[in-house]
Amino acid sequence: MIVSARTTSSAHAVEIFRTERGAVYQCDATQRLILDFWDTHTALSTRDFAQFRRMVNTIDVQQMALSTGSAYDVEILAPPRSERCYVLTLCEIIHLRELLNGSQLMLDLNSMLRECGCSLTSIA
Amino acid sequence: MKDLVRLRTSVKESVELALNQQIQMEMVSSSKYLAMAGWCDRNGFDYSAGFFYKQSEEERSHAMKIFHYLSDQGGTAHSPEVPAVEQEFDSLRAVFEGALEQEIAVTDSINRIIVICRRENDFATDELMKWFVKEQMEEEYIARRCLDLFDQIPADQIFELDKQLASVTYDGAPFGE
Repeated sequence: MIVSARTTSSAHAVEIFRTERGAVYQCDATQRLILDFWDTHTALSTRDFAQFRRMVNTIDVQQMALSTGSAYDVEILAPPRSERCYVLTLCEIIHLRELLNGSQLMLDLNSMLRECGCSLTSIA
Repeated sequence: MKDLVRLRTSVKESVELALNQQIQMEMVSSSKYLAMAGWCDRNGFDYSAGFFYKQSEEERSHAMKIFHYLSDQGGTAHSPEVPAVEQEFDSLRAVFEGALEQEIAVTDSINRIIVICRRENDFATDELMKWFVKEQMEEEYIARRCLDLFDQIPADQIFELDKQLASVTYDGAPFGE
C-alpha cells in the first residue's frame, strides 16, 4: 500500500490515497473526488463519496463469507448520482473498503493539517 | 489542496453519526409515547393519554430539531428506522416507569454526544446539545414527579391521580429561563 499526495497528470487532480487495486484523486477545480477502481473512473462529490463509503462499509461481509447461496456471491452497488454500477465479490469489497477508508483518513488528515495552518500537499 | 470535507460541512463524521443515532432515539421515544397514549386512552385514563400525546409530539419535534440542524450544517440527516414498540402495559404506573426509563436513556445519550462534540472541538453542536441538556432536566423531573404521585395519591382515587399526573409541570428554572 502506498500513501502519497502527489500531483497527477491533470493539473488539479491530486492523488490522496492508493492501494494495489486503485486510487482516489481529489480535483480542486471541480471539487470532486475521483475513484479509480478496477480500471473505472467515477467522479463523486464529497457528500456522495461519504454516502458511497457508508454503503460499502455497511455490507454484511460476514454473511457473504458464510452463506452458500448464490445470491450472496456478489453485491451490486450504485454510487449516488452516478451512472456506474459495481458488481463486487467479497474480495473486491474488502479492497474497495481499504481504498475508501484510507482515502477518508487522508481527507481527515488534510482537515487536521488545515486547522494547524498547513496542507497535505505542502508537506508532501 | 482544498479541504473538501470542511467545505462541505462543519460537522465531523463521528458527530454526524451520533446525531443520526439521536434522531432515531427521539423518534423511537415519540413512538413509545404514542403507544403509551393509546393504552391510556383505551383504559380510560384520558388526562394521561393527553399528556403522552403531547410528549409524543414533543419528542418528534426534538428529532426534527436535530434533523434540520444537521441538514443546515451540510451534513446528511437520515430518516430513521423505527422498530416496533411495546403496545401493552401492566398498569398506569408501569407506563410512567417506562417513560422515566426512556428519559434517562435519552439524557445519557445526549451526554455522550456532548463528550464527542468536545473531543472534536465542535462547539456549534455542543451549543445545540446544551438546549437538550436543559430539556432533559425538565423531562426527567416531570417523569419522576409523576411517579411520586402514585405514592402520594391513594390507589382508589384513580380519577384524581390521572388528573394530577397530566398537570405536572417543571418551573424550577435553575438557569433563569
